[in-house]
Amino acid sequence: MGSSALSLTEQMLRRRPAVGAPVAHGASDHLKRSIGTFQLTMFGVGATVGTGIFIVLQQAVPKAGPAVLVSFILAGIAAGLSAICYAEMAAAVPVSGSTYSYAYTTMGEVVAMGVAACLLLEYGVSMSATSIGWSQYLNELLNNVFGFRIPEALTSAPWGTEHPGIMNLPATILIALCALLLIRGASESATVNTIMVIIKLAVLALFVAVAFTAFNSDHFHDFWAKGFHGITGAAATIFFTFIGLDAVSTAGDEVKNPQKTMPRAIIAALLVVTSIYILVAFAGLGTQDAAEFGSDEQAEAGLSVILRNVLHGQTWASNILALGAVISIFSVTLVVMYGQTRILFAMGRDGLLPSRFAKVNPTTMTPVNNTIIVAIITGLLAGFVPIDYLWDLVSIGTLVAFIVVSVGVIILRVREPDLPRSFKVPGYPVTPVLSVLACLIVLAGLPRITWVWFILWVAVVLVFYFLWSRHHSALNDGGDGVIPTVAPGVGS
Amino acid sequence: MTVVVGYVVGKSGPAPLNLAVEVAAALGTSLVVATVVPQPWSTPSMARVDAEYAAWANTLAAESRAEAAAHLADTTGLDISYRQVSAGTSGDGLVELTEELGADVLVVGSSSDGALGQVVLGTTTDWLLHSSPVPVAISPRGYRGARGGRITRLTCAYSGSPNSVRVVELVAELTAGRPVAMRVISFAIRGRTMFPPEVGLHAEDSILEVWAADLRTMLAKLRSDGIVTGDVELQVITGNGWDQALDNTEWDDGELLMLGTTGRRGIKGVFLGSHGAKIIRYSPVPVVVLPK
Repeated sequence: MGSSALSLTEQMLRRRPAVGAPVAHGASDHLKRSIGTFQLTMFGVGATVGTGIFIVLQQAVPKAGPAVLVSFILAGIAAGLSAICYAEMAAAVPVSGSTYSYAYTTMGEVVAMGVAACLLLEYGVSMSATSIGWSQYLNELLNNVFGFRIPEALTSAPWGTEHPGIMNLPATILIALCALLLIRGASESATVNTIMVIIKLAVLALFVAVAFTAFNSDHFHDFWAKGFHGITGAAATIFFTFIGLDAVSTAGDEVKNPQKTMPRAIIAALLVVTSIYILVAFAGLGTQDAAEFGSDEQAEAGLSVILRNVLHGQTWASNILALGAVISIFSVTLVVMYGQTRILFAMGRDGLLPSRFAKVNPTTMTPVNNTIIVAIITGLLAGFVPIDYLWDLVSIGTLVAFIVVSVGVIILRVREPDLPRSFKVPGYPVTPVLSVLACLIVLAGLPRITWVWFILWVAVVLVFYFLWSRHHSALNDGGDGVIPTVAPGVGS
Repeated sequence: MTVVVGYVVGKSGPAPLNLAVEVAAALGTSLVVATVVPQPWSTPSMARVDAEYAAWANTLAAESRAEAAAHLADTTGLDISYRQVSAGTSGDGLVELTEELGADVLVVGSSSDGALGQVVLGTTTDWLLHSSPVPVAISPRGYRGARGGRITRLTCAYSGSPNSVRVVELVAELTAGRPVAMRVISFAIRGRTMFPPEVGLHAEDSILEVWAADLRTMLAKLRSDGIVTGDVELQVITGNGWDQALDNTEWDDGELLMLGTTGRRGIKGVFLGSHGAKIIRYSPVPVVVLPK
């Protein structure tokens, strides 16, 4: 075995060089190099406001009661601090932009594998759970408009729920559709992205407007009833709704004067997103008792059901919201699946996964094998596991990955102080430390069962690393780990 | 052995004639300028409409011929003849004539509703691409011919499919022993960026890189397999889209782009292969589509 020359520790700690070939400038065709604060803010809002808010209240409110509003702020602070650290990492390590590759360049192979485990968990669960959320809103829409419900046997997982069925067929179909689109090379263009953002914001605005008509401040008494633990617990669940803010950070090399623009845009996007969420939560809480969020009736397509109740059975607003959710959640699933396949692609390229993950099909020009594997696994999860109760797993994966990034910022400052960085974290070293602390506080709110699942999963991935990946890493046999990039143009 | 060029007055201008002259000269063969006119009715009508129709068709052919002859008056050293063909459709007529004469190449022009300098497939050309038994050369709109007056290089678009290997073999045969250079290019097009969290905006770059590397290996294999000789230029060209990739390509004066077809019949996209259709759309040089 070629790796025998290195000791196990050396293998685990070997890193990819921070300075790779520069990423082809202007290669990403949607981001011109002259993005200002406003555009970047809107970009961040668009990338962040996704499926989460359509689903999260039903899970978070029972934990924290009306104080869920504080949970939103707490989760937002943690997400914002992480995003700022993420931005420095993106500026210092131009290789790719994924937390996985940042970990690889700063902390070595084994940590990279751990972060990859977080990402795969986060993406796998969130894609399956998103598609289940989609099937619920689809069913709500069908029910309201045509008075027809897909039979429960075809919308429920066979175990783990109160009404077990055969499988969740719509969710599986959605994943298959997304896989087909990705294989064909379809992507969500900047225009479609903008339209989706507008749809999401519009239906959320509708929700707020209608919900306020039934506002009753009595529902806010006992604000602190669930205590601090309830607040952090809800914040941990809520955290996943802030994922996407880091998209702002990776746009660094396209931004005008990043040192000024970047933190402004991150903070502005954070304020906008948090305000939207709090407004939705506030309006929702005003309509009903906190306990009702956990009721059976609202377990599926929650926001739509609230609107139906508010309007005493009239369904027009509920329909519009459900339709908006069906459209926008579809697009979110597509983007999430894309992300999942691209992480696996990067790992395949680094030799930590079999090379078939990094194979590009010459006809479709996309990583087809990779996409099919992802679709099969997440399709099975979505069809047969009631994974929509597992959003906490998404949060835990992201929080751990963000902690690694924040620690990575400190490590890289110490080890390579002279590395050129177009953006530096303001208030170093306090900011990265605060970022780690904030993530830890949120993490502390997660239930033990989530930790058990998380640790089990990371352990499985690390066992794979020790048995397989470390022997096949691209850094074996004198590989330098520099990933070449191509600039558009002629090569020979 | 001859080259047939379809020409009707007022259709696509002299562009196909300019291309046809170059192709015939390069192949060292004769040129037939064909004008396809509508088939007259065989049953005489009382109002002599049929005869009027036939007379109009003859005038059209004569005008076409006169105009083509005027345009080709300065061409020397080429055996040029003119033919009038009656057929149900222009495509049928050209194919019949091609078969009758045993022609090597059929030359047609671009549709007149495209932009200048672009290759745009009209309905006839589109039909010819899946019906012609011989290669179809299509001139860009407004093509004036090479400044040097002759074809200097043939470029094959190579995707690695068995069919595109055949195109390379054919072109290698064609250029052997002729003063025409050869180049094989493969295009790698970057996928569009999406914005997934924690993945970064450069994921597509690494896919592009893997793909470009695959293409380089495939091109090198052409040489090591002896399909192309050492003097053939091999290039991988990348771009954010097909338009950019074709813009990024350096084109010589007097260059032709050679493409294969996927051999499937039916709608344009399926038949040419969706990539082939895009290459044609953005090609700034004449395109020759080889039949399966």
